Amino acid sequence: MAAVSIRQIKKTYPGTGLTILKGIDLTIPDGSLTVLVGPSGCGKSTLLRTLAGLEKPDSGEVRIGDRDVTTLEPRDRDIAMVFQSYALYPHLTVRENLAFGLKLRGTPQADIDARIAEVAPQLKLDELLERLPRALSGGQRQRVAMGRAIVRRPSLFLFDEPLSNLDAALRGEVRVEIRRLHEKLGATMVYVTHDQVEAMTLADQLVVLNGGVIEQAGPPLEVYGKPKTRFVASFLGMPPMNFIDATIEGRVARAPGLSVQLPKSFDVRDVTIGIRPQDVRPNEEAALDLRFELVEGLGFESHVHGRLGDDGAPFIARLEGDEGRKIPKWGKLGLSVSPTDVHVFDRATGRALS
Amino acid sequence: MTVKASANAIDETGGRRTFLGEALVHLALIVATIAALYPVLWVISLAFSRASDPSAHVLPVPRGLSLEHFRAVTETHDAAGRWLFGRQLANSLVVSIATAAVGIAIATPAAYALARFRFVGKERGVWLLMATQMFPGVATLVPLYLILQGLHLLDSKAGLVLVYATTSVPFCVMQLRSAFESIPVDLEEAAMVDGASRFQAFRMVALPAARPAIAVTALFAFMSAWNEFILAATLLSRQEAFTLPVALQRYVGEHGAAWGHFAAGAIIVSIPVMALFYVAQRHIVSGLTSGGVKG
Amino acid sequence: MRHALALLVLLVTWFSAARASAGQVVVWHAYREAEERALDKLLDEFRAAHPGAVVESLAVPYGAYASKLEAAIPHGHGPDVFIDAHERLADFRDRGLVAPLPLSVIDRTAFDEKLLPPLELDGKLYALPIALKCLGLYLRGDATPASLDALPSLAYEAANAYAHAPLLHAFGGKMIEGDRYAFADGPAEQSLSWVAAAVAKGKIPEEASEALILQMFSAGTVNAAISGPWFAADLPRDLAYRVVPIPPVTPGGNKPRPFLTIEGAMLAPKPRDPELAGELLKFLVAPSSAIVRAREGRQVVATRAAWTDAAVASDPFLRGFADAAAEAIPMPTSVAMRAAWEPTTRAIQKVLRGDVTPRAAMAEAARRYADVTRPLPPRADPRFALFLVGLIALFGAFAAVRAARDPQFVREVKGSVSAYAYVTHAVIVVTLLVGVPLIIGAATSFFAGRSGDLHYVGLANYWDILRARGGPLLASGSFYAVLAVTILWTVCNVVLHLVIGVALALLLSRPALRLRGIYRVLLIVPWAVPSYVSALAWKGMFHRQLGAVNAVLRAIGVEPVAWFSKFATAFAANVATNVWLGFPFMMVVTLGALAAVPREVLEAAEVDGATKWQRFWLVTFPLLRPTLAPAVVLGAVWTFNMFNVVFLVSGGEPDGRTEILVSEAYRWAFNRQAQYGYASAYAVLIFLLLVLATRLLRAQKAAA
Repeated sequence: MAAVSIRQIKKTYPGTGLTILKGIDLTIPDGSLTVLVGPSGCGKSTLLRTLAGLEKPDSGEVRIGDRDVTTLEPRDRDIAMVFQSYALYPHLTVRENLAFGLKLRGTPQADIDARIAEVAPQLKLDELLERLPRALSGGQRQRVAMGRAIVRRPSLFLFDEPLSNLDAALRGEVRVEIRRLHEKLGATMVYVTHDQVEAMTLADQLVVLNGGVIEQAGPPLEVYGKPKTRFVASFLGMPPMNFIDATIEGRVARAPGLSVQLPKSFDVRDVTIGIRPQDVRPNEEAALDLRFELVEGLGFESHVHGRLGDDGAPFIARLEGDEGRKIPKWGKLGLSVSPTDVHVFDRATGRALS
Repeated sequence: MTVKASANAIDETGGRRTFLGEALVHLALIVATIAALYPVLWVISLAFSRASDPSAHVLPVPRGLSLEHFRAVTETHDAAGRWLFGRQLANSLVVSIATAAVGIAIATPAAYALARFRFVGKERGVWLLMATQMFPGVATLVPLYLILQGLHLLDSKAGLVLVYATTSVPFCVMQLRSAFESIPVDLEEAAMVDGASRFQAFRMVALPAARPAIAVTALFAFMSAWNEFILAATLLSRQEAFTLPVALQRYVGEHGAAWGHFAAGAIIVSIPVMALFYVAQRHIVSGLTSGGVKG
Repeated sequence: MRHALALLVLLVTWFSAARASAGQVVVWHAYREAEERALDKLLDEFRAAHPGAVVESLAVPYGAYASKLEAAIPHGHGPDVFIDAHERLADFRDRGLVAPLPLSVIDRTAFDEKLLPPLELDGKLYALPIALKCLGLYLRGDATPASLDALPSLAYEAANAYAHAPLLHAFGGKMIEGDRYAFADGPAEQSLSWVAAAVAKGKIPEEASEALILQMFSAGTVNAAISGPWFAADLPRDLAYRVVPIPPVTPGGNKPRPFLTIEGAMLAPKPRDPELAGELLKFLVAPSSAIVRAREGRQVVATRAAWTDAAVASDPFLRGFADAAAEAIPMPTSVAMRAAWEPTTRAIQKVLRGDVTPRAAMAEAARRYADVTRPLPPRADPRFALFLVGLIALFGAFAAVRAARDPQFVREVKGSVSAYAYVTHAVIVVTLLVGVPLIIGAATSFFAGRSGDLHYVGLANYWDILRARGGPLLASGSFYAVLAVTILWTVCNVVLHLVIGVALALLLSRPALRLRGIYRVLLIVPWAVPSYVSALAWKGMFHRQLGAVNAVLRAIGVEPVAWFSKFATAFAANVATNVWLGFPFMMVVTLGALAAVPREVLEAAEVDGATKWQRFWLVTFPLLRPTLAPAVVLGAVWTFNMFNVVFLVSGGEPDGRTEILVSEAYRWAFNRQAQYGYASAYAVLIFLLLVLATRLLRAQKAAA
């Protein structure tokens, strides 16, 4: 087990001149599950691969435990990685796949057998050990990939979008499985995903990347509740946060169809107001005047799409149960919001104002 | 790219198959098959004929069934009474198998480097490799002889193997390069994370994954050596060192030719390659495309 | 490592020791069947008489014989004694492949006086006569015709200059006179007219090959055939026939004297064991040996004493050829003679096809002769070239130094080191065994002359080729004419490969096709057969009289075609052969590519209302293109240099017009005075053309 520290990692892809990591600083505490999340091309995979040693940074330093591993080969870093494609060796049976890394490290055969015997039942692989990967289902392959990492007992686990090739039902199941595994092993894990649900549910520490820089890092609920940038705010939450350009007058932010109280006063005038759909309540003395356009009813909740005012910003509100269905078409809906649930961002920089 | 057996069934007809349409397809395929086999059948009929010259008939039927030509071709002995044909067959096998092995051994790491590494001189190297295919062999025969002489490898199987293997390298490299490119790079990265060095990842993961393409490429290298006779005739100077095509060539002399013998020999020479093709036919389709000529 | 080195040293010394060892003699020959058996028997006897001596023999395929001698002897890998036709002596002597015989082995009285001068050069004897080969008249039945005119029918290779020579001589003509090409005067014209008339009357079969003559004579379709001693080996054993010298054309006319080839036993310079080699030479021509060769090898032996043997003297076959040989004219050994065959044969072919008058054909032949024997380009001053090479080297060094100083470049090179570990061995062997021969081959194009006697001529070879050796730029055989044929050849082949290959692949990819596996296996058969076998099989199938193609035509009521007599049909025959050889490759590539075309896309197109035809052109084909394009480029390069098919099927016929650039280069290297420099210049031009073409293609692709 080991903590990981990343200092000022920079990476530009040769040939293209594209800078993919622009000086990343990150500390991953020992035994934590850190999730790197962000849109595609944000650099999360490159950062993970840099940790693995599959990419060499142009500058900066990577430490695993007390070792500087920046220039070490992957095999010398004592890490295990689960790939998006699972990367099962097609010519080896499940057992041989599991044993591969151990064999390379010269683990005695008895040890290898023992470890496989230990791990296989956990992942329900005992029946599959003599099969070739092409004879496995997607879920089974995924479990083999996990098993291959687990038998290694590395000081650091790396996951590169390990669930993205599974169907939705299975994904939920395996997500829980991974969390359980983490609790059990207590190992340091770094997990890359673009899926916010995975990110939120799995992470001890959530790291949101965008354009090669870390937008925000912290416990998931903190990142969700106090997004530091408009990007982070937009990235987490479903349906996504509503953003309305507004102007501040005293402690009130105003825009067409909107007039909300703020928890305090700001010295910036041009701001963007962020309100999560689930933070509004139907209320006659409305702070928000939503012109209803359509509703998505999910049964346990409904998402009401509309605009603020006559032709203001688009807005989505989440209502409990079936309430949204009752609104007449082109009707009006008054909404209120608690001042503490209003997020205020500098319109120019996108940073949260606090 | 993955080649699924079921993917063969591309529906060009849109499901509206009629008996007539089906019959026409089979007619076209039968005509093509006959055209493909006709010359071969002629060679076969001549080989089994008592006569030793071709004759003007539409149907390739042997005239006077006889195994005489096969007997004459296979029962050659040298001055010391050793079974010459057997030795020459063995030579051909040894040389061709060694060529395939050496050619693949040389080409595979190079192809892998081209597929996976960026390095100075790569583009130029690939271009030069392609360019060697464009220079006609006519002009290189004599220099090659001199070089082999300098290496003391004239008149030896080793020399022949080296030349065949080397001349097959450019094609093998092109072929294997795309084969490696079609293998997901994840596999080797996984191996390296698992504790393999770069070379171990190549040897233990990429190489086995490329096995079908390597087999097909080896088949081509084998075939080129198995069928070659100009270089063999120039470089070899002992009858018991000859390969089969050189021995076969002897039936075509200055005046006239023993066509019956030639045909019988040709069939014997063709059988191993046909057999290999038959065994490898599915791999040839996928190997050629997944590897191969994809540029 | 040290062990390996020691082993290598040991091997090398052992090799050289083995080569220098005494008591060894190596014999090369191109004999087959009975002649080979007789020779082997004699060598066994010789071994028995020389216990301890190593006597090796090698039967070389005829096609490789000359080039093998030329390659092996100067480097000590060749034979000590070899048997070859006397007419090659002068050439061999010029190239240092033969040595004069030591006086100790020569017994001039053992042979007919007349046989020795052709084996002499500058007063020294270079070979002992082994056997005589010339043309004679094979007859069935008892009557001996008084003249050729009196024969109702006659089979011989009328279009061949060697077979035509007796007629030429009968009319008082000559093939060459000194170094002058003499197939240009009245007698030559008369001889041509006589044959043309006889062919027109149907007395002599058109386009007769050995195989056809054999068949006609065996079957009794003709009762007279002109051929050499080798002809008898293939005749049915129970056939009764006689051999007589060729009778005059008209009764009492000049004797049609054929050319005489004296097969001689020759001695290589620096034999391994001169004494043993001398012994063997003497032994081979000794009377007892000659009798074995005559009786068992059916050779018309040159040793006089052999003819005192009753069985030899009474053999009507041997007797007949001995009589024919007595009248024959020893073949001139000059370079001029060697250069005369190709133009003369072509001239005769043209006349027999009725393309041109004898006069025009002869003029054309004279021009070709001049072409081939034109004097070598003069020595050029190599100083400028050396200066240029030096300059390039200097620039190279300069660039290298500059690159080494560039930190960026150095960093990149350092980053490449791990990759170099994978490619180094390939680079080394490919450079050594592909690159170096290629560079030497290319460099040869700046030289002229025979191997061993090359001189630098600058760009003269290229200049000669590019201005069509001074002739009209588009004359047949000129670089530009051949280039045009080559391009046409490449385009026809590639298009047909593509069309047939893709069509068959589409048919084979139909869903639920029955027998798919069987069709697929059978359709790739052409790929698995060695190409020289298929090429020869196709040549046989296109034979005028014996070929299956004409048999099929006849069966469906179409007039048979003389395939190799017209450019269009000969070219078509070549293309047919090459298409047959090449379509399976394209079919297999397409099958693979088709398997990767997603079914959904085709279904989407169908839902969108595309017809079958539109689906192919608008969906399938564009999706196949990325896979097919490189295969097509590779196929085009291969076809451009497809030597086998053109050389073996049409052989350039008619009149060298179906020759492509590579086969033309081959002819200059191996058929026409071994003009390697000239051939290399062709090779370099081919290379440059292909490089240019692929570059243009790539540029076009990049632009698109």
